[in-house]
Amino acid sequence: MLNVENQKPPKGKWTTPPFDPRFPNQNQTRNCYQNFLDYHRCMKAMNRRGKSTQPCEYYFRVYRSLCPISWVQRWNQQIQDGTFAGKI
Amino acid sequence: MFRLIVSQARKHPSLIPLFLFIGAGGTGAVLYLTRLALFNPDVSWDRKNNPEPWNKLGPTDQYKFYAVNTDYSKLKKEGPDF
Repeated sequence: MLNVENQKPPKGKWTTPPFDPRFPNQNQTRNCYQNFLDYHRCMKAMNRRGKSTQPCEYYFRVYRSLCPISWVQRWNQQIQDGTFAGKI
Repeated sequence: MFRLIVSQARKHPSLIPLFLFIGAGGTGAVLYLTRLALFNPDVSWDRKNNPEPWNKLGPTDQYKFYAVNTDYSKLKKEGPDF
């Protein structure tokens, strides 16, 4: 499984994530979680097809902007342990 | 219960506005709960077949009643497909 913590973050300017109409209210928890899932699903799909994972960086930037670092660390730890609850 | 309301209203007509407002409030509450149960993208009744219902919203779908500053007709889908 990909070890996210060893990857360098993508270069370039990071703008703030755009408005997502799926999550229009103040509580953006689900936005954070969905982008985290989407990033990992994208990596898995691209690696399976043998294509470049460069498009997945969009999701990486969004979840890094939105999610508290402690959550990201906890989820990465769970992924390494195999106890992550989400469907990736 | 409605017969009781009607008979009481005939005996004391001044109660009619009360019945109207209570009725409207109760109906509004039930209707809003129904809208939440059926249309809210965070609600999933069948987790096996419909696990992430918020992903079914397109970029221009608006769930809120009134959006102050957001022009929904101009939004596009962000994020690449995979």
